[in-house]
Amino acid sequence: MLTRQKATTLIINLLIMNDLLKLKNVNLKYQTGNEIIKVLKNINIETKKNESISIVGESGSGKTSLIMLAGGLEKATSGKIFFEDQEISKMSEDEVSKIRRKNIGIVFQSFYLIPNYTAVENVALTLELNNLKNPYNRAKELLDRFGLKNRFNNLPSQLSGGEQQRVAIARAIALKPKLILADEPTGNLDSENSKMIADILFKYIKEEKSSLIMVTHDPKLANKAKRKIKIKDGKIV
Amino acid sequence: MEKLSKLSDYKLTLIYALRDLSRNYKKISSIILTLFISLFILSSIFTIEESLNNELNNNSRALLGGDIEIDYNRNIGNLKLINQVKEFATVSQMVEFSTMISTTDKIENKSIFSRIKTVDENYPLFGKVGYEPSGVFEELQTTENTILVNENIFKNLNLKLNDKIKVQDKLFTVIGIVKSVPDIGGAFVFGDFALAGKQTLELLKLNNLGSFLNYEYKVRFNEGDNPKTSSKRIEQLFKDEKKVRLKYHEKSDGPLKRIIDNFSQFLSLVSISAMLIAGIGIANTLLSFINQNNMSIAVKKSLGFYSRDIKTVYYLQLLILLFLISTAAYSFSFFLVPIVDVYLSAGLGLNIEGSFSILNYFKVFSVGLLVLIIFSIPTINAIDQVKASNLFRNVFQNLQFYYSKQSIILSLFLLSILISLFTIGSARPIYSLGYFGAFFICLLVFYLLSNLIIKLFKGLKEHPNISIKVSVKNITQTKSITPITIMSLGLGVTLLLTLAFVGSNFKREIVKSIPKLAPDYFFIGIQSDERQIFEDLIFDMDKEANLEIVPMVSTGIVKINGIDPNTYIDSSNGSSWATRNDRRSSWADKVLKDNPIVEGKWWDLSRPDKLQISLDSKVAKDLNIKIGDIFTLNIYGREIEGEIVNFRLVDYRDFTINFAMLLNPSFAKNIPHEYLATAKFKSLENFNEIALLDKMPSLSIIKITDYLEKVTDLLNKVFIAVTVISAITIVIGLIVISSAIIVQGKIKEFQNLIFKILGFSKSEVVLSSIIEFFIIFTSIILIALFFAVIGSQFIIENIFQITWKFDLVIFLQVTIGIGLATLILIMITNYKYLSPKVYPLIRNQ
Repeated sequence: MLTRQKATTLIINLLIMNDLLKLKNVNLKYQTGNEIIKVLKNINIETKKNESISIVGESGSGKTSLIMLAGGLEKATSGKIFFEDQEISKMSEDEVSKIRRKNIGIVFQSFYLIPNYTAVENVALTLELNNLKNPYNRAKELLDRFGLKNRFNNLPSQLSGGEQQRVAIARAIALKPKLILADEPTGNLDSENSKMIADILFKYIKEEKSSLIMVTHDPKLANKAKRKIKIKDGKIV
Repeated sequence: MEKLSKLSDYKLTLIYALRDLSRNYKKISSIILTLFISLFILSSIFTIEESLNNELNNNSRALLGGDIEIDYNRNIGNLKLINQVKEFATVSQMVEFSTMISTTDKIENKSIFSRIKTVDENYPLFGKVGYEPSGVFEELQTTENTILVNENIFKNLNLKLNDKIKVQDKLFTVIGIVKSVPDIGGAFVFGDFALAGKQTLELLKLNNLGSFLNYEYKVRFNEGDNPKTSSKRIEQLFKDEKKVRLKYHEKSDGPLKRIIDNFSQFLSLVSISAMLIAGIGIANTLLSFINQNNMSIAVKKSLGFYSRDIKTVYYLQLLILLFLISTAAYSFSFFLVPIVDVYLSAGLGLNIEGSFSILNYFKVFSVGLLVLIIFSIPTINAIDQVKASNLFRNVFQNLQFYYSKQSIILSLFLLSILISLFTIGSARPIYSLGYFGAFFICLLVFYLLSNLIIKLFKGLKEHPNISIKVSVKNITQTKSITPITIMSLGLGVTLLLTLAFVGSNFKREIVKSIPKLAPDYFFIGIQSDERQIFEDLIFDMDKEANLEIVPMVSTGIVKINGIDPNTYIDSSNGSSWATRNDRRSSWADKVLKDNPIVEGKWWDLSRPDKLQISLDSKVAKDLNIKIGDIFTLNIYGREIEGEIVNFRLVDYRDFTINFAMLLNPSFAKNIPHEYLATAKFKSLENFNEIALLDKMPSLSIIKITDYLEKVTDLLNKVFIAVTVISAITIVIGLIVISSAIIVQGKIKEFQNLIFKILGFSKSEVVLSSIIEFFIIFTSIILIALFFAVIGSQFIIENIFQITWKFDLVIFLQVTIGIGLATLILIMITNYKYLSPKVYPLIRNQ
C-alpha cells in the first residue's frame, strides 16, 4: 500500500529527477586582502531537462561565476547544488569531474582548444577520456557535420575564430551531454559566425533533448532561449 | 556508446604522453641536454670501471704471474717443498731486488735506482713480455751478464744497445728494452725496472736489507687439473712454513682495484653533483613548461580529466624521456672506452674493452629516475593549482612550486635512496656521506643567500642611475633568476675552487716545501763495517753535509699477544702492512724530535735485557694494540717476545727516516744490523754518486727530487683530469642559468620593449645585465670561497696532513675564468631579447 508519506516522497523524488540542475540558496564570496566580495547572493535556479536558459546581465554581475558553479568548476561558499539527484556541492573535485565528463559540455568565449592538438584530436579527447571505441572516426563525423571536413588535421592556430568555436562545440557535444554550459559562445565572433554557432547549439539541444545554460550579452541570442534569467549585483532579478 | 576496457586507460595515457612529448620536446631541450650530460658522465664512469674490473678479473693470473704465488720474502725458501709443487704444476722462480744501475764508459757517468727482476725460462707463466729487439728476451737465459732495461732507464742513462752498465760491481750488457711485463707490481707501475736472467742473482751480493730482496715462486696448474684441488694441495704442503705467504690470483689486483674504486667513487660523486645541479634546472624548466601548458591543463580539467591523470601523463613523459636519454647516454659511454684504453695500455699495459652490464644500465636509469622524480614532484604537483574556472576569466596565473607534507616526505625518502645508492658499497662510505652532507649544506646556504640578497636589495632606496635601478629590479622581481643562478653556479664554483685549492696546496707542498725540508738523498744498504767508510766519503765530498745515520734490522711480527695477526687482521685494515712480511725497524736512545710520544713512556732502563717496543700510534690504533701488549718478533730466525711500551706519532710524509717500530737500544745493539742514512748537501754539485758507488757497490742511492718529480707529474695529471671532469658541474650550471634566462625570455622581451618605447638605450640595458651579474657573482664567490677554504683546509690538513695555504693566483684564475664564461653566456642568451620587434608584441601576437 502506498501511504501518503511515501506518495509524497515519490512525487518529490520524481520532481527532483525531472530537475537536471538545481541551485538552492547558493552564495559565492571571494576574499581579496581584507575585503570580502559577495559575487552571488542567495541564488535559486531549477533547470528542467530539455530546457534552454540564457543568463544576461551587466559585466561583473556574476553571470560567469554562476555558470562556473553550475559546472562544478568552483565551490559555492554556501548553499546546495544538485545535478539530477546528486548534490555536487558536497562532492570532491574528482567526483565532480566524473559527473562533468559524462554529463556536461562546456563552450567558452575564447574557444580554448588545446594548441598543439589538431581539430580531430581536440574533439576525440573527450571520447577517449570516456573509453569509447573509435574516437577519431566519431570526432571526424562530428566535424564533418559542422562543415569542417577539410580541417581535421589542422592545428587551432590554422583555423578561423568561427571554425575554432565549431571545433569547441563539437568537443563539448561529442559525448551527447545532458547539459551544455556556454559562456558567451559568440562573444568573439562576427555576426555570420555567431548565427552559425547559435544554430548549431539550439539544433543540438532540440535533437538530443539536452539542456542549455548560456551566458550572453547578445539580446538576439538570449531571446532564443526558453527562459531568460537576469542577474544584477549577484542577485536574480 | 560502446566502451573500452580499463586496460585502454593505460594505453591512452601512454598515447597522450607520447603525443605531448613528440610535440613539445623542443621546449624542454635544456632538460634533455643537462640530463644527457650528467647521465653520460655517470654512465662513462660505470662503463670504464666495469671494463677495468673485467680486465683485471680476466687477467688476474697474468697480473699475479700465476695461479698462485709462493712468496718467501727475503728468504730463498724451502726448495724441497717447491720441488714437490713442480711435480704437479709448472713453477717459475723469480727474485726481485732493488739496486743501482750505473753507466761505466760515458764521459759523464750516471746511475739510477731500479728494481731488477731475475726470471727463469718459464717466465711468464701467463701473459706476455713486451720487449725489443726480437729474440733478446730468450737471450737473457742463454747469455750471462745480459740485461733488458725499461725505456726510462735507457733514455736517462743515455744508453745504446750493447752498452755496458754496472749493477753493483758487475758489468752487464744492455741487449734490449723491456716495454711491459704482465705481472705489474707497484715498482713496475711507477718506478724504473729491468729484467735479467736467473743466473744474475748468483753473480751479485744480494743479502743486505737495502736490496729489498724478494723470492717468489709463481705456480701454474696443469691444464685439466682442478684449480681448487691444486690450491688445497699447495696450502697443505706449506701449512707448517712460517715465512711463506701464499698469494691467490683472485686477489692480485688489490692495490690497483683500490685506486680504481677510490677514483670512481670520487667521479661518481662529482657526476651526482652535476645531476643534482641539473635537477634544479629541470624543476625550473618543467615549471615553465607546465606554465606554458596552463590553458591546456585547464581545458582538460574542464572536460573532466582528474588532476592525477594529467600528472600521470607528465610523469610518463619524463619516464619516456629518461628511458631514451639514459639509453643514449649509456650507449655513448662505450665510445669513451677506446680513448681510455689508449692511455691505460700505454701507462699500465692494461687493455680494456667495453662490456655491457644490465646492472650498470639499471643503476644509471635509477639514478636519473630518482633525480627526475625528486625535482619534478613540486613542479608537477603545481598542476593541482590549475583551475578549469580560469578558462572563464581568461586569466592564467603563474604556477609556483607546490610542496605538500606528503610530497616533502616522499622527496626526502627518494633522496635518501639516492644517497644510499652512492654510499652503500662505495670504497669509503663515510667520505660519500660527508660529501653529500657538505653538498646539501652548501645548497641550503646558497638558497638562503639568494633570499638575503633579494631582501637586502628590496630594502634599498631607489638609486638615481637607471641601469642600477633596472638591475636591482631584475634581481628582486618575483620571477627573478637570482635564486637559480646562485644555487646552480654556487655549487659548481665551490666544488671547483675546493679542488683547485687542494691541488695547489698539494703541488706547493711537493714542489716547494718538501724539497726544502727533506734530505737530498736516501742511502740504503750500508753494512755495519762500512759505516765509517760511508761517513768519511760523504764528508770528504761536502764537509757541511747534514748526515743522519740510523741502524736498521729486519723484524717480522709473528704473534700479537700469542695470536698470529694474519688470522684476524684483514687486508683492508689500513695498517695490515705492518704485520705482513718482514719490516725494517731501528732503535734510538732518545725520543726523536719529529716522532713525539703520544702514549706510554720511553725505554725502561731498569730492564735492559728485555725487548721493549715503541710503536707508530696509527698502527696501534688500527690494530687495536694497547700499552703492555706483547709482540713476538722474528729477528733473523729467532722468535723474541717484546712489550709495547709507548706509541709515537709518526709522519711518513716528511721524507726523513721513520720506522713503525723502534726497539730499545740496550737490547737491540747486539742484533746484526745495517745502516740507513739520509744526507742533505750544502751544494748538490759536491756529491759524486759514481765515486761513492765505486767504493760501496752494494749501496742503493735514492735521489728524492727524482721521486718528487715523478709524483708531481702523476699528481698534475690526476688533478687536471679531476678538475676537467669537475668542470662539468659548471657546464651544467651554465646550461641551467641559460635555460632560466630563456624561460624568462617573454618577460625580458616585454621589459625591453617598454624600455625601448621609453627611450632606454641598448647599452643601458646591457649595463644593467652586467651590474646584475656582478652583484650575484660577487655574492656567489664570497660564499664559495668560504666553503672552498673550509673544505680544502679540511682535506689538506686532515686527510693529506700537510700545511694548507691560501693561493690567491688559483683563486683569481678560477673565479675570473668562470665569471667570464658566465657573463658571456648571459650576454649571448640575453642578446636576442635586446631588440624586440614592437609591432608583434603590442598586437599581442
